[in-house]
Amino acid sequence: MRSFSNSKTMNRKVKKVLVAIAIYCILIVICGVFFFPCLWLILSSFSSTGSLYDIEGFFPSSFSFDAFIKLFTDTSQYNYPMWLLNTLIIAICNCILSTLLIIGTAYAISYFQFKARKSLMKGALVLSMFPSFMGMTVIYILMTQFNFVNNIWGLILIYSCTAPLGYLVQKGFFDTIPQSIYEAAKIDGATNARIFTTITLPLAKPIIVYTALTSFAWPWSDFILPKLLLINKDNWTVAVGLMQLQQNEFARFAAGSVFIAIPIVILYFFLVKYMVNGMTSGAVKG
Amino acid sequence: MKRFFRRLGKNIVDLWTNFINFFKVANLNVKASMCLMGAGQFMYRQIGRGILYLGIEILGILFFSIYGFQWLVGLITLGTVEADPWTGLEGDNSVIFMLLGLMSLVLLILFIALYILNVRDVYNTSKLVLRGEKPKTFKQDLKDLLDKKFYKTVLFLPILGTIIFSLLPIVFMILIAFTNYGEPYIPPVLVDWIGLENFIKVFSIGDIGPTFFKILGWNILWAIATTLLNYVLGLLLAILLNKKIVKGKFFWRLFPILAYAIPGFITLTAFKFMFSQGGPINFYIEQAGGSALPFLTKDGTWWARLIGLLINAWLTVPSVMLLATGILSNINNDLYEAAKIDGAGAFRQFKDITLPFVVFATTPTLITSFIGNFNNFGVFYFLRSDVTSNGYFVSNDTDLLINWLYRLSIDNKYYSIGAAISLIIFIITSAISLIIYIKSPAYKKEDTFR
Repeated sequence: MRSFSNSKTMNRKVKKVLVAIAIYCILIVICGVFFFPCLWLILSSFSSTGSLYDIEGFFPSSFSFDAFIKLFTDTSQYNYPMWLLNTLIIAICNCILSTLLIIGTAYAISYFQFKARKSLMKGALVLSMFPSFMGMTVIYILMTQFNFVNNIWGLILIYSCTAPLGYLVQKGFFDTIPQSIYEAAKIDGATNARIFTTITLPLAKPIIVYTALTSFAWPWSDFILPKLLLINKDNWTVAVGLMQLQQNEFARFAAGSVFIAIPIVILYFFLVKYMVNGMTSGAVKG
Repeated sequence: MKRFFRRLGKNIVDLWTNFINFFKVANLNVKASMCLMGAGQFMYRQIGRGILYLGIEILGILFFSIYGFQWLVGLITLGTVEADPWTGLEGDNSVIFMLLGLMSLVLLILFIALYILNVRDVYNTSKLVLRGEKPKTFKQDLKDLLDKKFYKTVLFLPILGTIIFSLLPIVFMILIAFTNYGEPYIPPVLVDWIGLENFIKVFSIGDIGPTFFKILGWNILWAIATTLLNYVLGLLLAILLNKKIVKGKFFWRLFPILAYAIPGFITLTAFKFMFSQGGPINFYIEQAGGSALPFLTKDGTWWARLIGLLINAWLTVPSVMLLATGILSNINNDLYEAAKIDGAGAFRQFKDITLPFVVFATTPTLITSFIGNFNNFGVFYFLRSDVTSNGYFVSNDTDLLINWLYRLSIDNKYYSIGAAISLIIFIITSAISLIIYIKSPAYKKEDTFR
């Protein structure tokens, strides 16, 4: 009790409590700001009226599963299951091809010291400075010239062939594997290909998982390229399809969004640590 | 700059002396390979290599005599025969001419490079032989591809893919910027080279010039404002969540991460609905007796700009926060202890320790996020792509250059103007990032915090 008699410590304690209350208030407001739109979408997806105008305000007055049921059964105009299937095919193929190409690039650039290395890295940097739109417009023009639009394989090819330019995060990971690990294998006369498959790849499992998951997730959220290249309704991806839904189909849009957002969000919660590492390593190494 | 030229001059001199020396040293085999690819390799009994090089030469000559040369000429003329629907004459397709010409140009460069490589290869072998070693067998070559030269095997496909799907499209677009390709010059109408006319159009009075400068002004303002806002908010959030007093950090961080994880097109469409004329916000305003505000409609210039800024903050502050959290945990705690002993208050500590460190560590990401925001396509594409403003050439007053580019080339087929504008965007963004990079503390004093 003696310490409390000292008014100075008392003041300090009060001040501390006040600061804590203020901080928690701010935190609650911030989290509310981030959570509110998500909550709005989730609740709207369960609204029994489909249109944005019928909901009147943010939250629906009555709830049902109608929107979800319609999403999967009423496919004559908006074929959501088909979009899901298309996106899944694209995502799986992109996941395999992009991961192979990115990991290979990052490993080669990080592990070998060859003559063209610096110029390759500089070249990649310059290429990534061009607005990505430039290439896309040309691809769109050429695809229309050759009547090659509406082809999801074309999309997969473009996704995976442009992926290696984003090799920096993965290279950062390979840079952290100390060379000394390889020395013993080298003395035993193992070739670099063998070292790569037996030592490097197992060590690189986390970054491979990260690369695979991010390249799997990308087609679910990309909308520009598929919108350009997939004109036929049956070839749409989820993103392109959902973008076509107008205000009067709001509940369906919300339901479709919630349905694909949940797995992606879960994925991100697992990946967030890697992503931060990637961002910081990119930050330091440039 | 001076150093660059001096180095260039030195390089040229080096190259020349090397060239002269090369002729002095080159033996008969090397000279044979200079005349016919692979000949020297055959003379060293490197049959595999010899066949490869000879095959390349034969294929190359066949290709260029049948197609390649013609295609190169096509790149210059862009087609001469105009299509005639009356007589059913098909005519030349300038775009395909351009593509084929570009392809054969690339193949020509590749061919010359392989030719030089072939001579260099024999030259290296001759040096090996002079030293008393045996020339490498084809088997050894193949083995090397899995060992010493393994990087060549691994990098082959990525580089090929990048050249076809990244480099060539960009070169193609640069070429288009110097043609009149676009309404009404679209195949089957012939396209022509017009030099710098597109760039002149962008910078002069008329429809396009004034729109360009109006959009450029807003684009720069937007990039600066949104980058700073996101940066400051994200940093503050990270510092707030890093405070010792905050319990359950993991729980609090979940919410920003949630916002970060949801695909952008979902949130952007949702926000568009939220602020639309009949949307919930206007519903409450009308309920309260007000009249609906023109958030995203034609009259809502500054409303739309403000909303765009806030929505972009909602989308990107979490990633800045995550980044800053990672960096904050890297700061050496001793620095704070020392500062406390010296009697520095919380603000002083923030100003003299936290801020410089974070700024130092994030400058490169600041540049990338500035450029990302400069070319932020999504926000205004979703919010207002259905609005066209008066006084803007197929565009509106919230469009960024990248949005305008989309409308010009995809929606309205002004391909060549679009190409010129994308080149200008490239020049602006690369110049800005170069300047920021050189001026940044991370570049000036690289070792400060290591």
